[in-house]
Amino acid sequence: MSTLSQVSIDKITADLLPKKFGKPGIIWTTVLVMLSIGGIIGYYRQVQNGLGVTGMRDYASWGIYISNFVFFVAISLVGSLITAIFRLTNVSWRTPLTRISEIIAVSAIMFAGLIIIVDMGRPERFTNLFLHGRLQSPIIWDVIVITTYLTLSILFLYFPLLPDLKIMIKHSKAGSMNQKIYKLIGSFWQGTAEQFRISENAVKVISIMIIPVALAIHTVTSWLFATTYRPGWDSTNFGAYFVSGAFLVGAGGVVVAMYVFRRAYNLQEYITEKHFNYMGKIVVMLAFLYLYFNINEYLVPAFKMKKAEEHHLMGLFTGEFSYLFWSAILVGMIIPIAVLLFPSGRKPLPMFVMGLFVVVGAWFKRFLIVTPTLLSPFLPISNAPESYAHYYPTWEEWFITVGTLAGALLIITVFVRLFPIIPIHETIEEHSKAHKL
Amino acid sequence: MKSLKILSVVFIGCISLIGMPAIAQEAEKTTLRLDLTYQRQENGQLPMLKTSAKTKVGKRFEPVHDVEINFFFNEESSKGFLGRIKSSDKGTAFLTIPAAFTYELDTSAVLKFIATVTGDEKFEDISSEIEITKAQIELTLNEEDSIRTMKAKVLVFENSSWKPAPETEIKFVVKRLLSDLNAGEEELYITDELGEASSEFALNIPGDAEGDIFIAAKIDDSDVYGSISSSKGVKWGTPLQSDNSFAKRTLFATRDKTPLWLLIFPNLIILIVWGFILYLIYQIIQIRKVGKAHKNV
Repeated sequence: MSTLSQVSIDKITADLLPKKFGKPGIIWTTVLVMLSIGGIIGYYRQVQNGLGVTGMRDYASWGIYISNFVFFVAISLVGSLITAIFRLTNVSWRTPLTRISEIIAVSAIMFAGLIIIVDMGRPERFTNLFLHGRLQSPIIWDVIVITTYLTLSILFLYFPLLPDLKIMIKHSKAGSMNQKIYKLIGSFWQGTAEQFRISENAVKVISIMIIPVALAIHTVTSWLFATTYRPGWDSTNFGAYFVSGAFLVGAGGVVVAMYVFRRAYNLQEYITEKHFNYMGKIVVMLAFLYLYFNINEYLVPAFKMKKAEEHHLMGLFTGEFSYLFWSAILVGMIIPIAVLLFPSGRKPLPMFVMGLFVVVGAWFKRFLIVTPTLLSPFLPISNAPESYAHYYPTWEEWFITVGTLAGALLIITVFVRLFPIIPIHETIEEHSKAHKL
Repeated sequence: MKSLKILSVVFIGCISLIGMPAIAQEAEKTTLRLDLTYQRQENGQLPMLKTSAKTKVGKRFEPVHDVEINFFFNEESSKGFLGRIKSSDKGTAFLTIPAAFTYELDTSAVLKFIATVTGDEKFEDISSEIEITKAQIELTLNEEDSIRTMKAKVLVFENSSWKPAPETEIKFVVKRLLSDLNAGEEELYITDELGEASSEFALNIPGDAEGDIFIAAKIDDSDVYGSISSSKGVKWGTPLQSDNSFAKRTLFATRDKTPLWLLIFPNLIILIVWGFILYLIYQIIQIRKVGKAHKNV
């Protein structure tokens, strides 16, 4: 660090320290709080009146809550991609992106757990999952793996944060609430060589461990579907299909966050066009990979067109869900590939738009995986009201779903207000090394 | 102007023509169809009467529910009144003949039953009657040299005694959960001059845990005798081995019967992963200790 001048260190620190919200920040946070309150109101109605307030009925028993759950689990995988895989493969440009991806992972996985409780008809029985859960049920595998991944992700966020906490204690107002928080969680960090050794060792352990756990979390989520015998879900390919989709949406989410933080906190020096260019190439690769799995998932069954699967597949290709299906394929994969293949498409603004496309496309893609299958049972729907053959989410469902998405963004927003979104210590270290060279 | 007047007259005329049948219909009552049948499960049991009420809707007969049906024995009077039952959603009404009529049933050779619907708001009064010649079936089940035989003798009540009923159609069945299973080689047998019919029993079917099955001889929906049957339990079935797979370690069993492989491997993985997590938490404690020690120096 000594090779870098104090002026440069001070500049980096000043640039990266968390800042008070400006007017746009206050408006953004207020909107998120209001949307979250809307979600709470919707959930209050649901608890009061039961799941009958939703559009879910006998056939479509999983709706946008479970789609949202799969989306959250998917986007949370980015933590392992950027932080662990990039760290283990010594990707030198990863530093400004690690904390962004980890906080996305933590907030998403927290709300994945929460939305499962929302989907429960009797939420007060949630503890029964732990007390009376059967290991034979994939649901319990998911509960275990989500809890494990959340714990690991928090640890992965925490260890690299320790050196920054010392900087923030130093630069925060004495006796302020922020400083109290920093001291509570990191006052013991003195920056000794021994502390760095233990921390780096721990980060290495997490980097290795989080990869199989991250793969497990989304594979197990895919097994919630694949272990049941239903059109569209009865696939041995589902684990890989889900994991590839998760990496794509996670990378898309990081690109969006990179752009927003870069603009909001003037981080152009730290999150450079080079980062967008590299992330753009990664998004293209992941989009191709996910497209490949999609072709496998839809083309092969469509080629055989078994009678029992016909209703489901035709519903997606030309029927009730066709607009949504083709839009999700186009918006979530084809257009981002087409744009990001060209260097000019990997500039910050087009990258931001393509990142949004990927994330929005991915959310609807999760809906298309979950609900149409339920509306195409092997035994055709009979002796049921006509409305049971379709699924339209109610306002309560939309409010809750949007509320959880806003809640996840709110966690990220509050985190950014309290902690540096780009690791200060690591950035200084990197600049020192570059300066030495 | 003239044409306008003509048009108005034609229009009013049409409206009247369309409206009139509707008004007339309101006052009219619908015709009901009432089918009455006689059933007796076992010899000596009280018989049961069944009616089904239907009405014609378009070209089809539809069941009529919630219509009150009166049942009578021999004559439509308070003396012969058996009871009143409301028809179900399927238009059917069942009445077990009250025990108070046992003497009349025992002493009569021909039983006359009447079902009526009277004074209903929607339907015209209607009555339906049947005359049943009292009969019973004696069922004998015999096994000799591994050959199992079912024999039925149909008897009719004439001049205060039971006499054989020749030329009567009879079925041999095994009573199963949802319906009867044909137990004979033929679907129908005709009784001989002694009123007897017999068939070999060659089915290999599961019974209860003891191998018990119930075999019945029955006359189905006869105009003369109604529907009567007689049954007997016999150990001609294969003893049923109950499925105890729920008591074993299976994927669909309760949590205390989780398959061992599913208990061992996931728990091993959980222990290893959480072991590392505990190690990482311990590392935080270590960092804390080092920090405090450094502060004190």
